[in-house]
Amino acid sequence: MADALARSLRSPRVLIALGMLLCIGFCAVFAGLIAPHDPGDQNLLSILTPPAWVDGGDRNYLLGTDSLGRDVLSRLIYGARTAMLVALFASFGAMVIGTVLAHIAGYFGGAVDWLIGRAVDVWMSFPPVILSLILMVGLGTGLSKVILAIVLVDWTRFCRVLRSEVLIVTRHDYVAAARLLGFTHRQTIVREVFPATAPLLITLVSLEMAIAVIVEAILSFVGLGVGADQPAWGQMIADARQYVYQSPWNLLLPILAIFITVTAFNLLGDGLRRTLDVRLAETGR
Amino acid sequence: MIALLLTLIVRRLLSAVPILLIVSALLFCVLRILPVDPAAMSLPPNATIEEIEAQRRAMGLDQPLPQQYAIWLRGALHGDFGRSIALRRDAGELVAQTLPATIQLAACAMAIAAILGLGGGLLLFHLRGTVLEPLADLASIVLLSIPEFLWGLILLFVFGVLLQWLPFTGQVAPGLPLPHVTGFLLLDSLLVGRFDVFLSACRHLVLPALALGLAFSPTIMRVLRSSLFDVYLEDYIVQARLRGLSEGRILLGHAFKNASLPTLTLAGVQFGILFSGTLLVEVIYSYPGMGNLMVDAVRNADLPLIQAIGLTYCVVVLLINTAVDSLYVVLNPKLRVR
Repeated sequence: MADALARSLRSPRVLIALGMLLCIGFCAVFAGLIAPHDPGDQNLLSILTPPAWVDGGDRNYLLGTDSLGRDVLSRLIYGARTAMLVALFASFGAMVIGTVLAHIAGYFGGAVDWLIGRAVDVWMSFPPVILSLILMVGLGTGLSKVILAIVLVDWTRFCRVLRSEVLIVTRHDYVAAARLLGFTHRQTIVREVFPATAPLLITLVSLEMAIAVIVEAILSFVGLGVGADQPAWGQMIADARQYVYQSPWNLLLPILAIFITVTAFNLLGDGLRRTLDVRLAETGR
Repeated sequence: MIALLLTLIVRRLLSAVPILLIVSALLFCVLRILPVDPAAMSLPPNATIEEIEAQRRAMGLDQPLPQQYAIWLRGALHGDFGRSIALRRDAGELVAQTLPATIQLAACAMAIAAILGLGGGLLLFHLRGTVLEPLADLASIVLLSIPEFLWGLILLFVFGVLLQWLPFTGQVAPGLPLPHVTGFLLLDSLLVGRFDVFLSACRHLVLPALALGLAFSPTIMRVLRSSLFDVYLEDYIVQARLRGLSEGRILLGHAFKNASLPTLTLAGVQFGILFSGTLLVEVIYSYPGMGNLMVDAVRNADLPLIQAIGLTYCVVVLLINTAVDSLYVVLNPKLRVR
């Protein structure tokens, strides 16, 4: 495993992705220090100004202002904080629930497996967008609610994929050997089965982070996301969509921010998949 | 053959019934935990407490939850989904009015996804072993990571705002009449002979349908490519080559046919996801379909309408999956033997 991780760190895809994510993460962590303005400060005397280098731009507002005269650059930086928080916590939560259920289903099989399998089926017959909207109605807006909604929708992604992996791993002789040595079921799962599924899990988590960023943007875009007082890229897009002719920049910038973040997570996932998955690494595809 | 197909469809539909029941019950429970009172919301703000109590009884809200669900289910089976609280109209009627526009969008998007996906898949396969392969591979991964939400915004920005080639709001230009025969605008405008409306509707449909199509084509592309790789390992390809057929005829006449089967299964699953993807595209382009209705209902906490639309999405997705499964049996001779 350590060997495989070292191999990943030599992959250009993983390195480029990590570099991009470090920049975004830096903005998210030190938003208060980097942002030139408070993201909520309104200046109604200069609304919808273009970026500073365009005609009519204001040097005080490097990337311009939105329809309430708030600084776009500061909102982008604070938006990165919202996006990264959601990406980290939502994918972690979905991973924990999905992984635990997948290991229980795949390891024990039988009735437990059947029950968890049917639960996943029912869950997945809801289109994810519809389910998350309905959940947001029930939960109300807010950062923690968005995270919870994503966890409740996306645990099935982990559960379904990992279960089949656990099924394969459980059939290996060394798992039977562990049982013969007197390991309890819990010890066997934690020490023997889980490490074998971990490479797949790491890949899934980075892909899930990309999905979480998108879902957060979508929910904020329709006005059911983190709430009006917290800057979010989806909100900025919804605001800019209304004034698209006056200020096309305001639409472009948050779209770029989402695009770059999502591409970085996907690139990371793809790079990890190629280097961590032993079977893929061997065929060289 | 037809009898076999019919039994298959019936069996699939029957197996979907318990899933639908559980889904509708879940939907019902999630929405009942809400801290909103549908009875108070459906009355004017100056209603007295007695009036609200009477309304609660009339709506069956004083009954225990399972009974409430039974009442709602009985109504839903008769096509009665209750009245929308915000719009004060029959929820089922509202869904029936907006569903055709959404189906029209989804069908156009699927056609685009299929054309781009199959064409791109053949191209990707054709480029195998050339210097362009890693480049095309990377491009397909970048494409794969752009969801319909981003495509919708990117296309709106480039073709709507920057180049101003295409309209990006609504389903026809303002001022044009909306003929109503079947509910499908493209069809209706042709039926009443208004070609100007038809053209305008087409122009308004391009960006939303393209956004959805682009989001779903890369998956089809990649599956077609990898199943072509599998097919090319088969003996009949070697045999065709020994018979002296051209590479083009081998690819299109022999390999493509067999590789398209797994692609079709996947495309079916994709079509189910694509159908729910219309929601976001509709909101971005202010397209008057079921998705926009859903978002409005969600913003207003309009429970009866949310239930009706949520269930409709699930039913349509299940129906699409059933149709694709049946099509698969029609096209795959191996599955016809029992």
